[in-house]
Amino acid sequence: MKKIISIIKKSLIEQIRSYWILILTVTMAPFFVFVYYLINESQKPSYDVLIVNADTGVQQKNYGKILIEYTQNLKNDTMPVPLKFKEMGSKQKAIELLKNKDADALIVIPDNFSEIIEEIKNGIDTTQATIELIGDLSDIKYMISAVWTSGIAQFFVYQSVNQKSLFSIKETALGLSGKMDDFDLYMPGLLILSLIMLMFPATIAFVMEVENKTMLRLKLSEVTTFQLITGISIIQVLIGVLSIALTIVCALAVGFNISGNILNLTVVVILTSISMIAFSLIVAAMCKTVNEVLIIGNFPLLLFMFFTGAAFPINSTSNIEIFNYPLTFQSLMSPTPAVLATKKILVMGMGLNNVIPELSAIVVLTIIYFIVGLLFFHYRHMRLN
Amino acid sequence: MEFTASKKAIISINNLSKKYKDLIAVNQLCLEIYEHEILGFLGPNGAGKTTCIQLICGLIAADGGSIEFHLEKNNKSPQQNIGICPQENVFWPKLTCIEQLVFAGEMYGIELQKSKKRAHELLEWLGLNEKTNTVASKLSGGMKRRLNICLALMHDPEILILDEPEAGLDPQSKVLVRNFIKSLAGTKTIILTTHNMDEADRLSDRIAIIDQGKLLKTGSPKSLKQSIGTGDLLEIVFDHSYISSLTGIKNSLEKLNFTVTEHENKLILYSKNIMQKITEVVQQINIPVQQMNMRENSLEDVFIHLTGKKLRQ
Repeated sequence: MKKIISIIKKSLIEQIRSYWILILTVTMAPFFVFVYYLINESQKPSYDVLIVNADTGVQQKNYGKILIEYTQNLKNDTMPVPLKFKEMGSKQKAIELLKNKDADALIVIPDNFSEIIEEIKNGIDTTQATIELIGDLSDIKYMISAVWTSGIAQFFVYQSVNQKSLFSIKETALGLSGKMDDFDLYMPGLLILSLIMLMFPATIAFVMEVENKTMLRLKLSEVTTFQLITGISIIQVLIGVLSIALTIVCALAVGFNISGNILNLTVVVILTSISMIAFSLIVAAMCKTVNEVLIIGNFPLLLFMFFTGAAFPINSTSNIEIFNYPLTFQSLMSPTPAVLATKKILVMGMGLNNVIPELSAIVVLTIIYFIVGLLFFHYRHMRLN
Repeated sequence: MEFTASKKAIISINNLSKKYKDLIAVNQLCLEIYEHEILGFLGPNGAGKTTCIQLICGLIAADGGSIEFHLEKNNKSPQQNIGICPQENVFWPKLTCIEQLVFAGEMYGIELQKSKKRAHELLEWLGLNEKTNTVASKLSGGMKRRLNICLALMHDPEILILDEPEAGLDPQSKVLVRNFIKSLAGTKTIILTTHNMDEADRLSDRIAIIDQGKLLKTGSPKSLKQSIGTGDLLEIVFDHSYISSLTGIKNSLEKLNFTVTEHENKLILYSKNIMQKITEVVQQINIPVQQMNMRENSLEDVFIHLTGKKLRQ
């Protein structure tokens, strides 16, 4: 035990002094979160609508102004309103912006808007108010803006004249589309990605002993493979926890909603970290230098990133299942069940009892990785005759 | 100091063999290494020195033969009784001098406080006390070499293997390391592998010369030098274009009872009172001579005499 503690201390010092590797490892996944957030935000529909209020008002009341205020506080039950309204002082200037494609549509509120609304409220039979919509009719963005704007204006007028709408619309979200967007679906995978990145510092920590030839000193002192690996692995698990904590903080900062239990997530994180360290042992057994780690390690990194659902959600179907766990090529990689478990816990708010098949798969795969890695690493680097 | 059979052997190597595919690295090697002696282990590159060391350390398995350790003082395994200072500097570059010595000590099961005390002692002995808290990668080449020796000695091993301990050292550091090795004489068994004949001559109690995996000769530096002829040595250098004529001259000189070694464009003659016989020698030489040097014979001459080649490194 004393030897393991000494190796932990030494490994911690080395990690802190190799701060560039540490920083790059723990910031990689938060960086991915930020990139995905930006991609997601840029893909969200958003339309710019200009409003020119020509309404002269009546009896100190200006329904045109009230309509503009109303547009600034629009809310929808199932999805955000994709319009950004901006009041303009001059119709000519607004048209210039439209022509330059700096806006998608223009609404001009007529000068008699308040007058007509007041007359309707007082039961006077009056003419219709004409709200003018201006835009490039061949542009799909104009069409969507116009449809949304018409509905909003109509709803405002009904409210203003105290009349009920002739109909109401109930919107039903398909699946989880109303509650979460693409970003929410990517997040569990990105959290596991932060643990996949652990493969590099962990492998490097093992291989550094070989590259520096300090393995010779460790072998002669009769440190066991188990003691060395346990000492190094404990620090790597801590790095994994730090990395995932940073990723979660970054995700929360850009609007990710966690609906699950963090303690349940911690269980998955620790198991997955150990699993990645176990896999790192196999990679470390194949390498003698850090350069080799960077070359050879890229192959499993690509597999783990793109075939486990870590970087992108993937679907895989299998006709063979063991205890509700589908057996596919992807399911032989521990990040696959880890991503599934994280998704269930974080997005669907499920408990540990709902992810038993995934946790069992991680444990089984980790044991296999560890046995193969330990034997292979011992054979390649720590054998003493 | 002459080592005889009365000295206690600490390592007995019997018919040791190791083969790498078709290459015989160690061939039926038999050698006794005595307690508290400094054994200079000499051989050209590829002679099998490193393989022998790896076999002694248990880093590789022998194909045949055996290595017996006669260690009585403690109940440590043979590996734990060996301290090795490889030719390459082997340390943890991100740790300070004190951190890695303490870590190395703890790996050998030494308690933390004892480990710290021992580390400070070693750093002081090898002139590194001012670099106690310096990260190893930032030390100069000579300091790294000395740190390497400290690491080999941290667990106070019975047997110390020093592979080229003076390589890359400045003259001041060489003297410091040499004195340090001498100070260990009588308390540790030291196996010194080197290409530096002067280093081996100055430090070793006994020399073992191996080539092609075979032990060619063992003995004290003095006895080895005497074995190729007592007295002086005459080195005659010819132009390279006359190399083909050297064998004929060698044969005629041997008929006059000179011990002669032919090496490239040189003939090396060993004899007592060679100055008095110089006329006889000159009469046998019928080609132009470039240079003639007379000196005492050295370990390098023994080495060349036995292996028939100059050092290849």
